Amino acid sequence: MGRSISEGEVVMKATNVLLPLSIVTRLGVVLLLCFFAMMTEYLNYKTAYNNPRLVELASGKSVRVFYEATDAIFDFLGDPIEVAQSNGGMTWSIRVLGVPFTDPVAAISVFAKGGSWTWGFVLGLAVPVSLALIFGRVFCAYVCPASLAFYTMFRIRHVLEKWFLLPDLKLNRGFAWGVLIGGTGAAIWAGHGVWSLILPYFAVGQTLFHGIAMGTLSISLGSIVFFALLDLFFGPQFTCRYVCPTGRLLGFIGRRSLVSVRRDANRCIDQCNTCAEVCPMNVSPKLDQTVDCSLCGACLTMCPSNCLSVGNRGEK
Amino acid sequence: MKNSWISRKTSRSSFIKSLIGGAVAAFLIPLIDKLPAKSRFRRFLRPPGALPGDAFLDACIGCAQCVNVCPNKCITLYGLEGGIENLATPKISARAQACILCMACTQVCPTGALEKLEPTKEGMRAVNMGVAVLSEDVCYSYAGRTCGVCYRACPLPGEAMTIGLFEQPMVHPEYCIGCGLCEQSCVHMPQAIRVIPRSEWEDRLARARLS
Repeated sequence: MGRSISEGEVVMKATNVLLPLSIVTRLGVVLLLCFFAMMTEYLNYKTAYNNPRLVELASGKSVRVFYEATDAIFDFLGDPIEVAQSNGGMTWSIRVLGVPFTDPVAAISVFAKGGSWTWGFVLGLAVPVSLALIFGRVFCAYVCPASLAFYTMFRIRHVLEKWFLLPDLKLNRGFAWGVLIGGTGAAIWAGHGVWSLILPYFAVGQTLFHGIAMGTLSISLGSIVFFALLDLFFGPQFTCRYVCPTGRLLGFIGRRSLVSVRRDANRCIDQCNTCAEVCPMNVSPKLDQTVDCSLCGACLTMCPSNCLSVGNRGEK
Repeated sequence: MKNSWISRKTSRSSFIKSLIGGAVAAFLIPLIDKLPAKSRFRRFLRPPGALPGDAFLDACIGCAQCVNVCPNKCITLYGLEGGIENLATPKISARAQACILCMACTQVCPTGALEKLEPTKEGMRAVNMGVAVLSEDVCYSYAGRTCGVCYRACPLPGEAMTIGLFEQPMVHPEYCIGCGLCEQSCVHMPQAIRVIPRSEWEDRLARARLS
């Protein structure tokens, strides 16, 4: 008896890692976006002055501190221009250490409007698509900077639900497919810029970039606020579950992913439905559903009988 | 058997209803363009190596990598001031900060909206951002006050621009690449020389021939 409890505690510790890890990686992505935006500012000072004293004379003491700190970072990274050429962009289309990453929705949109791709653009699809094929919808829980804001809204809803009765609307999965089709149509009609209003992570990237690199407010901020209010008042994680076309597309690509959440039916408690209740993506591990699972680890943390684990789909 | 068929049919109909709802919701977004209080009067340049006209808008996805790499900080992004079709695409305001033709942006563009160019004279000659147009009635040099600032700013002096007596500048449109350095450097306010898109310059030429 005692032995089984200690075994359970070890499993608890291993599974508890996933949820904090997902928050840390998403925060890391936000910091990376901020760093890229600030690199723009730094590059300008570097090419224009290349001297802390001149920077201070031109823009003040605080900018000198920023300049010297960034200088110290680039002593480590290398030549600023070369670093800027191999790192940059935002979650929509990013380049890290010279490796390009392309959003599948961007690829669809460009192909629908222009009818052709460049090689670098297609190569950028390799990592996101293979990640989706292996792990499923992990982009949503580990990369998407907007889902961090929506997860915060999810927790705020939890607190508010103690006093208020908040609605929990459910839409069909067709809605997100419709947004994908309608958004592509709007992109053909009006330009790829409409995605900066439709896709929450693109909107976050635009807002951060406008704010930090250019010092202006972006229209994308309006769409983030709109989606956050949708999450707060329409349903938990409403945008991620029913609106976001990228999530739907990645969920479709990774619907038979190699790695998924597995359930040990012998240990599972019949009356318990905790895993389905805490799932931000509206998946029920209880019914052995794994489509749309983003491997965020919320169910693993909450499961009272530790019957859930993450592993190869084929092995039970 | 019959029941399952009905449930599948209803789920399919709700799927199609949601599909249409989502498509209509997303397709309504370009209607932002119809909002009032928006000025389209100002024109901006595109970064060097940009595909001509609509081909650029077809390829550019607004990822801001060109803005990110620009060491001159001359490239910024459109908000809604250029309409929804220009939203999130790069622009250059030459009078505020003109392009120095370092070609860093053309190296990083992922979709080929900016063609790859080298920061050499040959690379510069391949750029087509517009044509500089001189207003001789505003220019200091044509009023007898020797200036010549624009000639000294020109990246292709002797080809795109030559100077005559009293440093009076002459633009040669067939060689001008429209980088806007002359527009930025002009000491007169408002500027005596400005860059306009090549298509508009051709329109002006045709109109001048007609009249």
